[in-house]
Amino acid sequence: MSLERRTQARPTGLFLTLCAAMLLLAMVSQQPWAAGARSYAKGTLAPLEAAMMAASDRVGAFTAVFGDNARLRAENQSLQAQDAELQRQIAELQAAGQDNIALRQALEFQRAYGHASMTAQVVGRGPDGFSLTVEIDRGTADGVRPGMVVASGAGLVGRVREAAPHAAIVQTLADPQSRVSAFLAQSGVEGTVMGGAGNLQMQINPRFGAVPSNGDWVMTSGVGGGYPRGLVIGKVASVSYNAASTVAGATVSWVNDPAGLTVVLVITDFTGS
Amino acid sequence: MTWIVGAALMLLAVLVQVTWAPSLSLFGAFPNLVLVAVVAITWSRGQRAGLFWACVGGLLLDLTAPGPLGPHALALLAGAYLTGFWVRNVDPAGLVQPVIATAVCTGVYSAVLVGADDLLNLPVPTPSVAVELAFAAAVYNSALVLPALLVSRRLRREAAA
Repeated sequence: MSLERRTQARPTGLFLTLCAAMLLLAMVSQQPWAAGARSYAKGTLAPLEAAMMAASDRVGAFTAVFGDNARLRAENQSLQAQDAELQRQIAELQAAGQDNIALRQALEFQRAYGHASMTAQVVGRGPDGFSLTVEIDRGTADGVRPGMVVASGAGLVGRVREAAPHAAIVQTLADPQSRVSAFLAQSGVEGTVMGGAGNLQMQINPRFGAVPSNGDWVMTSGVGGGYPRGLVIGKVASVSYNAASTVAGATVSWVNDPAGLTVVLVITDFTGS
Repeated sequence: MTWIVGAALMLLAVLVQVTWAPSLSLFGAFPNLVLVAVVAITWSRGQRAGLFWACVGGLLLDLTAPGPLGPHALALLAGAYLTGFWVRNVDPAGLVQPVIATAVCTGVYSAVLVGADDLLNLPVPTPSVAVELAFAAAVYNSALVLPALLVSRRLRREAAA
C-alpha cells in the first residue's frame, strides 16, 4: 500500500516541480532584459518552419494538379498521356503564379497607400486558436520592430508582436486578443474590431442618425495610434441590435484569409503606439 | 534510439501544428497535434513519459507563439497529468475513455493557457470566445486521439521487440 502510494506520489511531485519550473521560466523570459535571448530562441525554429511551409505548398499544388487531372480524364481520355514531368512543371507554375499575384498586390498596395514597406514571406502560423499569429521570415536584422503594421495587397493583416533577428511573429486581426479602432466608410460609424472564433466582430459606438449596413467597408480609424488611418479591414457581413433596438455590433468579413496568406508587407515607416 | 525517434516525432508534430494544421480551421479552432500526441503517449507509456514529452512539446510550441516561454508547456503538463490520473482509473485498452479524456484535457489545456496568460498580465480572449474555441478544439482533438494512440502503441511494441 505504502509502495503504491509512493509510486503514485512521485509523478505528482514531478508534475508540481515541472509546473513551478515552467512558471518561473515564463516569468523570467517575460522580463525586458530577457527579451533579446527570448527573441533569439524563437528564431531558431523559423528555418524549419519555412521548409515545412514550402513542402506544404508543394503538396497542395500537386494535389490540385491531380484533382484537376482526375476531372479532365473523365472529360477527355487523351489527357491520360500527360507526362509526369509536365505535371510537376504545372504544379510549380501554379505555385509561382500565386506568389506573383501576391507580389503584384503588394506593389499596388505600396503605390496606393504611399507607405514604405518591405515584403516578407509567411513561414509559420500560431500553435492554437488562442494565438492566431503568423511568423514571417524578416526580423530585426531587416529593420522589423515590434509594433510595426503588417498588411497584404488586400488590406490589413495585423501587427508585429515580437521580432527575432531573422523572423518575427505577427498578431493577426483574427487573434482573439486583437483590437483595432475602425470606422465604416459609408456610414462613418466608429467602433472597435475584435478577433475571435470565425469572423471578426465590431463593437459599434452608437451615433444618432448613422446606420451601418451590410457591405459597408470597414477601415482603420487611426484612433489610439496603433494603426495608420485608412487601411482596409473588411466588409460588414451582418449587423446586430440590442434590446433597445440600437446597433450593438457587426460581424466583419475580413479581406484576408490567415490560412491562405503567403506574402505580406511590413510597413516600415509607421510604428504603432 | 527511442528518445531520438520520439524527439523527431515531437518536432514534426510541432512543425505540422504551426504550418499545416491552421489550414484545417473550423469555427476558428484547429487540431492540437502536440496535445493529442501527449495524451497518446501518456495513455500508452505512463505519466512520467507523458510529463517529459509535454515539457518538450510545450517548449517547442512556446518558441512559435508570441509571449514568454512556458505557458504552452505548463498547459500540456496539466493535460499529461490529468491523462495519467485518468488512465490509472479506467481500462486502458478501451477506446471510449481516451476520446473522453482528450476532450476533457483540451478543456483543461485551454483553461491553463488562458489562466497563465492572465497571471502573466498578457491579453486574454473573452470567456465566451475562449469557451467556443476550446469546445471546437476538444471535438477536433478527440477525433484524432485514437489513430495517435495506435501509432504510440505500435512504436512501443517495436521498441520493446
